Amino acid sequence: MGDLDRAIAQLRACRLIPETQVRELCYKARELLIEEGNVVCVDAPVTICGDIHGQFHDLMELFRVGGDVPDTNYLFMGDFVDRGFYSLESFLLLLCLKVRYPDRITLIRGNHESRQITTVYGFYDECIRKYGSANVWRYCCEVFDYLALGALVLGTSSELEPTGLAMNDSTQSTMPIDDVELETEVLNSKGEVTYSSYRPRQSASSDTSAENRNISPSGDIPSQAPLRTGAPGTGASGEGGGSYSSRTGAVLCVHGGLSPLIDTVDKIRLIDRKQEVPHEGAMCDLLWSDPDEIDGWGLSPRGAGFLFGGDIVKQFNYRNDLSLIARAHQLVMEGYKEMFDGGIVTVWSAPNYCYRCGNVASILELGEDTSNGGTVTRSNGDYGRSNGVMTGDKPGVRSPGRRYRVFEAAAQDTRGMPAKKPVADYFLPSQQAI
Amino acid sequence: MCPRNSHVPTFTMEKSTAASITAEKPHSISVQGFKITTEKRPILKAEPIEDMTKRLGITPPEMIFGDNFVSIKHEKSSWGINFNAFDALDRVDKTGASMLKVAYSKEWQRSSREKTHEGIKEVVKPFDWSYTTDYTGTVRADNRSFEPTTKTIPLELLKRPDPILFFDEVILYEDELADNGITMLSCKIRVMPARLLLLSRFFLRLDNVLFRLRDTRVYIDFESLEVIREFQSKELDYETVQQTLATTRDDVPAVMRDPNRLSEILPLREKRLERISLED
Repeated sequence: MGDLDRAIAQLRACRLIPETQVRELCYKARELLIEEGNVVCVDAPVTICGDIHGQFHDLMELFRVGGDVPDTNYLFMGDFVDRGFYSLESFLLLLCLKVRYPDRITLIRGNHESRQITTVYGFYDECIRKYGSANVWRYCCEVFDYLALGALVLGTSSELEPTGLAMNDSTQSTMPIDDVELETEVLNSKGEVTYSSYRPRQSASSDTSAENRNISPSGDIPSQAPLRTGAPGTGASGEGGGSYSSRTGAVLCVHGGLSPLIDTVDKIRLIDRKQEVPHEGAMCDLLWSDPDEIDGWGLSPRGAGFLFGGDIVKQFNYRNDLSLIARAHQLVMEGYKEMFDGGIVTVWSAPNYCYRCGNVASILELGEDTSNGGTVTRSNGDYGRSNGVMTGDKPGVRSPGRRYRVFEAAAQDTRGMPAKKPVADYFLPSQQAI
Repeated sequence: MCPRNSHVPTFTMEKSTAASITAEKPHSISVQGFKITTEKRPILKAEPIEDMTKRLGITPPEMIFGDNFVSIKHEKSSWGINFNAFDALDRVDKTGASMLKVAYSKEWQRSSREKTHEGIKEVVKPFDWSYTTDYTGTVRADNRSFEPTTKTIPLELLKRPDPILFFDEVILYEDELADNGITMLSCKIRVMPARLLLLSRFFLRLDNVLFRLRDTRVYIDFESLEVIREFQSKELDYETVQQTLATTRDDVPAVMRDPNRLSEILPLREKRLERISLED
């Protein structure tokens, strides 16, 4: 067993590795990350994860639910550190896995992967507490500067392979359904299907698409699936109306969202990323901005940061041959939230956030399109490089089949955790006079 | 400090034994004709958040514990006071008139506007996103109302180590201000055999801008049936707090997260005292 494997085993047990080993690990990680572009290309299948925030035991639960590295190909969208009590263990484990299995795990930068933010929100203090100096914090911050800003998932399948395990299997039919395909599926941590949605299958010849559009699912389909307009937070509709192009577009993954300075994925590729997250500009926006129910762009009421509406997402996706933007950054009670007709999704992977919110978390699995014998369509987010299949006024690429695995906080070793039951304290009235 | 196992004949206690947060029922105690109930649930789901957004007219905080509450009821007079997130948020400025700006806002706006062709200037739905509230609890309109008083909450009586029959702390809302600090409204209550004290505290730290505390205390003497409510507002700019702490040997970041310590530093801006008698 090599040093790295030993370090992985130790970190999996939530035990830290020596400082000298951290230094070496961070050095290796930087060497690896420097070779990655600002936008990493990742082939499906892939499992996309949102914020972790130092919730180590929940990261272990995530791996239990989603499968282990390297069996499962992972993409983490940043915010590994701060807030939780085990930022070091969480980040170092992910980094070890990255160095050990570079093409099975992708790490992109979140707004918390920054010197300034980590000094305020816990990671710096944790490093001092656990290592006695700021050295490890410095090594980690140097790695942060090399993390990619985004990822592009290619070769996704528009249709999910059903997982089979249904909650109430009396309604489940194994009959082949020729005219619809499974678009979204939500599973609980036991692997039971709690929700599924279907859409008309794309037909071989385009002239039949008009018939498909108004398809109403028949009784053969699992009863909970059709006729509902989507799970909470899902833009999916059981009534179809999906697009009819011949393939799925790429999926752009970024921590925060879009930037008014970025209209093509290529512009992300031009950023000089190897620096502290700036307070403004394209790089800042990608890590900080939020989608909102507005038209166009808006300023956050806080006086800094952009908000972007559904029209911005539609334009950006169309222009860049994208079928979906996956992002993290915002807490969502259900673990995921699709917005703007499924054009963007927020994935949140820190259950019971800050050990007190009581929310569930999720990860998003995108399957591999095997219909072309595994050949990946080069829909790589480049403006003007589309292959001409999309014509007329029915543009847009077909969105990938999306499987959300929802999970709850791990039953964990509660040492060092805030007590769930508050300790009674003799708080007093203020003694201050006016 | 745990409540001693004392002989107190006049109260009953119901406590949920469920381990999961989601399954916790309200905690409740009845003592001397008063019923005190607290409810702690997870943050709201998407649908109730949407509903609340519509009813409030502003975006609720990121962590909204909309099902949580602390309620005190006097059974005989049917007077009661309740602390909940919705009513507290309903008192947040919804116009944007008292809107704060994050520390780097000027720098950000200048450079972002220079570089952005479209010139995005419009602030989306302006409101006081710090969620500052002067909420002092919800009292039903048909109830007796508070009147001003000079009578203060009796500190000496509350310093006594009387057994605590019931204690709870409930968060109503919290927001990380997009990593520009913290804003939080929480409510804690301790019930002793002869009296109770509730503290509802709004705490805001806007990094490199300011600190703010809004405290509401409700004191009830079970014997005299007198309710005293005190509201205090404290505020100080970030730099002054930093300078004050620099002269001490304290762990500065820790103090900056601790409203109890900050309460000693921030100067009082406003104080109001009110009372109600629940006697017949």
